[in-house]
Amino acid sequence: MEKNQYDICLKVLRRMEKQGILKDILLIGSWCVYFYDDYFTGLNYTPSIRTRDVDFLVPLPLKIKRKVDIPDLLKDLGFVIDFLGTKGYIRLQHPELIVEFLVPERGKGSDKPYPLPDLGINAQPLRFLDFLIQNIIEVKFKGITIKLPHPAAFALQKLMVFQRRTKNEKAERERNQAFMILDFILKKRADNDLKRIFNSMHKKWQDKILKVLSSFKQDQVIEILRGMV
Amino acid sequence: MGVIKGVLKEELKNSLRMKKSYEQELARLPKGSMIKKKIKGRDYYYLLLREKGKVRFVYKGKIGEEEIKKYGKAKELRAKYRNLLSKVKKQIKYLKGVLRGKESI
Repeated sequence: MEKNQYDICLKVLRRMEKQGILKDILLIGSWCVYFYDDYFTGLNYTPSIRTRDVDFLVPLPLKIKRKVDIPDLLKDLGFVIDFLGTKGYIRLQHPELIVEFLVPERGKGSDKPYPLPDLGINAQPLRFLDFLIQNIIEVKFKGITIKLPHPAAFALQKLMVFQRRTKNEKAERERNQAFMILDFILKKRADNDLKRIFNSMHKKWQDKILKVLSSFKQDQVIEILRGMV
Repeated sequence: MGVIKGVLKEELKNSLRMKKSYEQELARLPKGSMIKKKIKGRDYYYLLLREKGKVRFVYKGKIGEEEIKKYGKAKELRAKYRNLLSKVKKQIKYLKGVLRGKESI
């Protein structure tokens, strides 16, 4: 990570931790691949390419009890609010980092932002995020405890969502990330975690994942998931 | 190669949006800088403005703490936003250069 980006990221996390928000939200998206370094210690883990977007997943119902105006919290660092698209999803922008918030989409779903007035923001509802909330790990980064989806959950969820992407490049990036993480899970010999998390998925999702793995000849992963090893 | 180019395109798009956001924020900040003059032992405030290249002092007289703070905060933010805007412009130049400026995004 570039020094400036590193410093800004650290400041954002510190401020969130100080306000007591960080313990109730998860860091997801391509940035959690960076923080998996702690989980894959000793395996020569090298995080892949990522954008400036840092996505935070806010589990519902909201556990955060106190009001914290996040845009105000980050304002003096130079973050400005950007309203994305016609629906007005809030993003907090800085030349080094873009902070976004997501919530799990449930039921029929909606393309409207989910208001989080106690945090002074809104969040984008997206599919398959509850699955990440059910499989969490905690990592330490410069004394800060960060909650991340378990790498196996991250990889399996990516294998689900990349198929829904309309942009080929983004789909390819997500698929590559998923395969890279799966590769390190095998190196770490965390097969049991992978299988346990896979087994907790809906049968339909399992079939979709096995189909993708099969089309990309990920035989070793398929064998683990099918319980053949 | 497609993945890297895709990331760069996405970042260029982000930087262009960011440029607009910083310009809007700068335009929203109250203009000028509040300065204090001591005349015959008393404090009087003037708003220092630059209009069409000329410096102008606008007499404000005695103003409340709140307004002094507002202009102080605006001054800080203006400096910060200008600095960040300059960074964003450099990013745009760089990214357009890498993408050869010919790619449609």
